[in-house]
Amino acid sequence: MTGNELGNGKKEFHPAMNEETNHPLNIVIVGTAGQGVITLKRFIEYVAMEEGYKCIYGSEMHGLAQREGAISSHCRLQREVSSNTRENMHSPTICHGDADIVIGLEPVEVLRNAGLLCSEKTVFAINSRDIPPIMVTAGKQSYPSLDEIQEILERYSGGEHDRIYFLNATKIALEQLDDAQKMNMIMLGFTLAVTGLSFSMDACNKVATRELKDSKMNEKAIELGLQSGKNLKHA
Amino acid sequence: MPDSRFTPSEPPGTEHLFLGNEALVRGCLECGVGFIAQYPGTPTSDIGETYRRVLQEQPRLRDYITHLWSANEAVATSSCAGAAWAGFNALNPMKHVGMNVASDALSVIALNGPNPGGLVCVVGADPGSLGSHQEQNERFYAWMLHMPMIEPASPQECKDWIKVAFLLSRTRDIPVYFRMTTRIAHSRSKVTLGKFTLPERKMGRFERNPAKFCSLPPYAIDNHIRLYHRIERISREIPSLELNKIVPGDATTGIITSGVPFGYTIEALHQLERDDIPVLKLGMTYPLHEKEIVEFLHDLDSVIIVEELEPFLEVDVARIAQAYGLQVEMHGSDIFPKHGEFNIGLVTTCLARVLGEEPSQRIARARELHDGYKAIIPSRFPTFCPGCPERAMLMEIKKATGNLTDPPTIIAGDIGCYVMGIMPPLKVSDFIICMSGGLSAAIGMSKKVSEKIIALIGDSTLMHTGLPVLADAVANDANVLLVVFDNRWVAMTGHQPPAGKGKLSIKALCNAMGVTWLKVVDPFNVDETIGAIGKALTMDGLKVIICQRECALMASRVMDRERRELQSQDKQYGRRSYQIYNCVMCEKCSELLSCPAIRRTVDEFDNPVMKIDEDRCTGCGVCAQVCPHGRIKTTIIHPHLDAQLKIRRIEQEYDRK
Repeated sequence: MTGNELGNGKKEFHPAMNEETNHPLNIVIVGTAGQGVITLKRFIEYVAMEEGYKCIYGSEMHGLAQREGAISSHCRLQREVSSNTRENMHSPTICHGDADIVIGLEPVEVLRNAGLLCSEKTVFAINSRDIPPIMVTAGKQSYPSLDEIQEILERYSGGEHDRIYFLNATKIALEQLDDAQKMNMIMLGFTLAVTGLSFSMDACNKVATRELKDSKMNEKAIELGLQSGKNLKHA
Repeated sequence: MPDSRFTPSEPPGTEHLFLGNEALVRGCLECGVGFIAQYPGTPTSDIGETYRRVLQEQPRLRDYITHLWSANEAVATSSCAGAAWAGFNALNPMKHVGMNVASDALSVIALNGPNPGGLVCVVGADPGSLGSHQEQNERFYAWMLHMPMIEPASPQECKDWIKVAFLLSRTRDIPVYFRMTTRIAHSRSKVTLGKFTLPERKMGRFERNPAKFCSLPPYAIDNHIRLYHRIERISREIPSLELNKIVPGDATTGIITSGVPFGYTIEALHQLERDDIPVLKLGMTYPLHEKEIVEFLHDLDSVIIVEELEPFLEVDVARIAQAYGLQVEMHGSDIFPKHGEFNIGLVTTCLARVLGEEPSQRIARARELHDGYKAIIPSRFPTFCPGCPERAMLMEIKKATGNLTDPPTIIAGDIGCYVMGIMPPLKVSDFIICMSGGLSAAIGMSKKVSEKIIALIGDSTLMHTGLPVLADAVANDANVLLVVFDNRWVAMTGHQPPAGKGKLSIKALCNAMGVTWLKVVDPFNVDETIGAIGKALTMDGLKVIICQRECALMASRVMDRERRELQSQDKQYGRRSYQIYNCVMCEKCSELLSCPAIRRTVDEFDNPVMKIDEDRCTGCGVCAQVCPHGRIKTTIIHPHLDAQLKIRRIEQEYDRK
């Protein structure tokens, strides 16, 4: 797999980017309650709408899953509507092994709620800041190291390294924006840089202005994530 | 700026993204619904939330549309019947277990009929128990109550079909069962708008008609017969409603399904390269149109029913096949699980087995890889948020009772965030039944055991069904300590106001009901609260402790808003946080509180220590009072400031009166 240069308008090759097949682009977003999984998912859907995707379908998790619980959201984007109904999306959730992109707002949640949906084609963008579950804090269970998580995820791609990207987005959010909640938008920028998800900054900023309260801070967050991703890719 | 998706000026034909629940609200705004009443419950809470927001943003609509948060589901359903009998279309959302509560009222309302208005009950089922304490197949209520049942499979259908439901209810004088599931309620896709339609009038009129509205003998029997006629007439009209459709195929095996499982089925068949299998998608799942089923089955050798939970369609389809003497092999609950939620992977695997197809390699590999490492994933169950007053109270109960052994104490749990008390490491609820089931069971148990009993209840659950139980506990002199979590929100369902919020005092209410020993405590004052619990347990009879602190999630949201406001003005601010200095690793904070803001880590010399995450700490200060070595101290994070951020105290004026 060879990647095109980023930033010159061309996007990296990605199986899901092959629009001739019109197969849905399947994005899984996982994290813990309160991290902004749903906000990020809806943001992606709005941008996809701006970018002209004809079919947008996805599923969120509300309710009992709040309160520090594990959260996952599915987001499915299809370029065109087929006249054959059997070729269109009808399920709001993604099939086992069919995820193209996983955005992990918390590392171990990627294993829990995205793992079953991954295969050799999946690209991972993961916030490396862990939120230890209470059983870990209580010393009754242990939390796998980032190296272990990386090693496990490499099993999907048969050891290829260009599929798994980590960024401590919470640290950036706290240090540069004094707001841990902006981590999700930093992760969006990071995802754009490392997975080849082809959204323009114009569309992102337009949606931020329209849909988010403090749009300037969010635009800044996306930019921070994008830059971090580009730096990582070119390192 | 109001959300344009819900405004009259947004032109029909425009496309917007909607959640299933939001699309349903838009549909109601397109068919003149004038009244909505509900008790919040996942997955239908955001129907009411959306209405609230729409009415807030567009005050003009309030002349025509009334939205109420009701005390419980039976109250909401009867409220809706009242509005329907005044001539309005009334919407009554509830969660699946809400139907258990509402069914008492509905069993009579169905006999009477909602005319001159219309009544639609939106029931949010929860296969897989994604947002509930249990799963149940409440579809059988449709059979029992003779309510026509409609099941949408996409947000577009949520919007379009709620209008069909109201049309049916209004023209046929029958309450309609609109069955959602958590998955469809919380799925989002593009929806094409129709024409915005307000109710014709602001106020309606009730006309006396005892034969219709008083279902007592002999009217009750007459109305029962009339109900049979109504449902039979609807069963004949089904094709004209255009809710059912066939995705054609020429195979001799067919599938009958409805709702979200239709989506899983179509994608599963496509994966298995079996697009030749015809699929009958039922939009109306009760009653069935017998001729339609017979015609679909006629050319088939076998049929597969794809439905979640207990077989419902399967039973009815089998009845029809038998009645018409059709020789067709039937599969359904024999190959699919009768519990939990479905997904494409599961449906593909089950269908592959019965169709004799090769199961998908990709699905098998995903399962195999996941199975290979899932043992190392630490469990993460929902728990109390950082700064939660309920966690503090449960810790104080454990401390006051020597870990429930001195005196031996039984904890009667209930429904609300405190349900999470059953999880480790707190593990403080010995049984849980249903809303207000805890205190109810405690009354009986207190007569037959010698242990102390502490019953837990939230402010909203107390208003839902708890008041009669409280009266019962007083009347029957139950030897129970009742702890009321007065956090001012229906927190678990997303912060709706509990009945009576801002108007009534739980303290005055308990006093009026004859409670003789009552104390209001702030759970963030640890010693004082433990003292109150200890004192209460030395006394006989019913005692009440009101644990008064606002939900931490809501309180910290308010604080976040203040912070963003200060940020936007470029002001400097400080906030209270706590840190652990020279931790000796006694682990008491973790053992007693297990606050998610405290993590286990290592210090600079690689020694294990506990550490507080400053971004997650809300500054409640309970851990500092619990640390036996006094190592947790308060810090101000930004010392040079224009303002101090602090968790707010809830209003208490009406309790002082």
